[in-house]
Amino acid sequence: MEERPRALLLKFPGTNCDEETARALQVVGFSTEIVPISALTTETLDGVSLVMLSGGFSYGDYVMSGRLARLVTEQKIDAGLREFRDNGGYLLGICNGFQILTQLGLLPEGSLVENTSGRFQCQWVKMKKQADSPFLSLLPDEFEFPMAHAEGRFVTMSAEDARRYRENGAAAVTYDHDVNGSFEQIAGLQDETGRVFGMMPHPERFLYREDHYDPDWKNSAPDSAGSGKEKWGSGYYLFRSLYESVTSSN
Amino acid sequence: MRETFEISDRFIEAGDANELLYEPLRGDLSFRRTRRYEIDFEGEENNLVSFVEKTLKDSISQELNRGEDSAFESFVFALEYGMKPGALDLEKEAILSYHRGIENPGFELKELNIRQRIYLFGDGANESDRFIRDICNYAIHNWSVIPGEK
Repeated sequence: MEERPRALLLKFPGTNCDEETARALQVVGFSTEIVPISALTTETLDGVSLVMLSGGFSYGDYVMSGRLARLVTEQKIDAGLREFRDNGGYLLGICNGFQILTQLGLLPEGSLVENTSGRFQCQWVKMKKQADSPFLSLLPDEFEFPMAHAEGRFVTMSAEDARRYRENGAAAVTYDHDVNGSFEQIAGLQDETGRVFGMMPHPERFLYREDHYDPDWKNSAPDSAGSGKEKWGSGYYLFRSLYESVTSSN
Repeated sequence: MRETFEISDRFIEAGDANELLYEPLRGDLSFRRTRRYEIDFEGEENNLVSFVEKTLKDSISQELNRGEDSAFESFVFALEYGMKPGALDLEKEAILSYHRGIENPGFELKELNIRQRIYLFGDGANESDRFIRDICNYAIHNWSVIPGEK
């Protein structure tokens, strides 16, 4: 029997999207394990291909979103996640997971702060692929995902930094319009290896076609027609892209 | 010894103060929020400052003011509020728990008091009673109003 690549989902107090993210990962071919942060050691990462940081409100977003999760993770395994990446491991952060990856310094320097609206925004957003990424290879150039966050405005020390991220491909995905005040409309980032990726919208909430708000929405992926893949939503293709990259690099 | 640190956001503009209230204001007021951390400690002050900068401040999006002075000037008034003594303050507990987990923090954290400040700017009257009524929870918060120099 083919061995599935292992995905480890870190769960902090307040993480609440881990179960549905685990289901999405299982659908595309991963085996999954949800591990509470209190049980995390460097040995926990042995044999793991993907560390997943799911959405939610880790530690109640106290101090600022992702801050305490970062501090506790560093306290538990110090630079363990950095070593995991350097040894070929993949890291994916969605929403609060993106905030945590940013805080951990595993993505290009920046911060996620309160939306310019000052509100929690829960809506569907159109997004554009701006660079090649192992997490996006099967997605079309434009796609939609739902987002739900209060602190999703990506900012950098200077506006020039964000422009540079657009030019050098670090800003792998952007919103197609100004949704929350993010510099350069950045919705997601990747690091220089391409194996660390974070974004605010939620692909795990659009795994199936019927998850879309428009009942007439059709899967436009090139390989979908007549293949039995018509049932999938865009989120499937993000996770499937990741799966194919992980299995081809093993 | 006691040190006070006030953290403000670099990228968040002043908002319309009506957003904080159930009924519209008579005048035009805008607001900005900060967080103030009052820390009683023993030990090396530099270690405390390092702890605060690493734990409580975001180097990209926030600014840190040290001392008793207010982070902003020219405000009409500021409402400062926080948890009453004895009320469960989960943020405080999370920070203390993190500090306890540090092997050699270089200082002893004796007491931590977290306060939120809302500064009101503009030409409106000092209607602080309305802000207290709509923002503070009488069961768990205590508060004070700081008059501005304006």
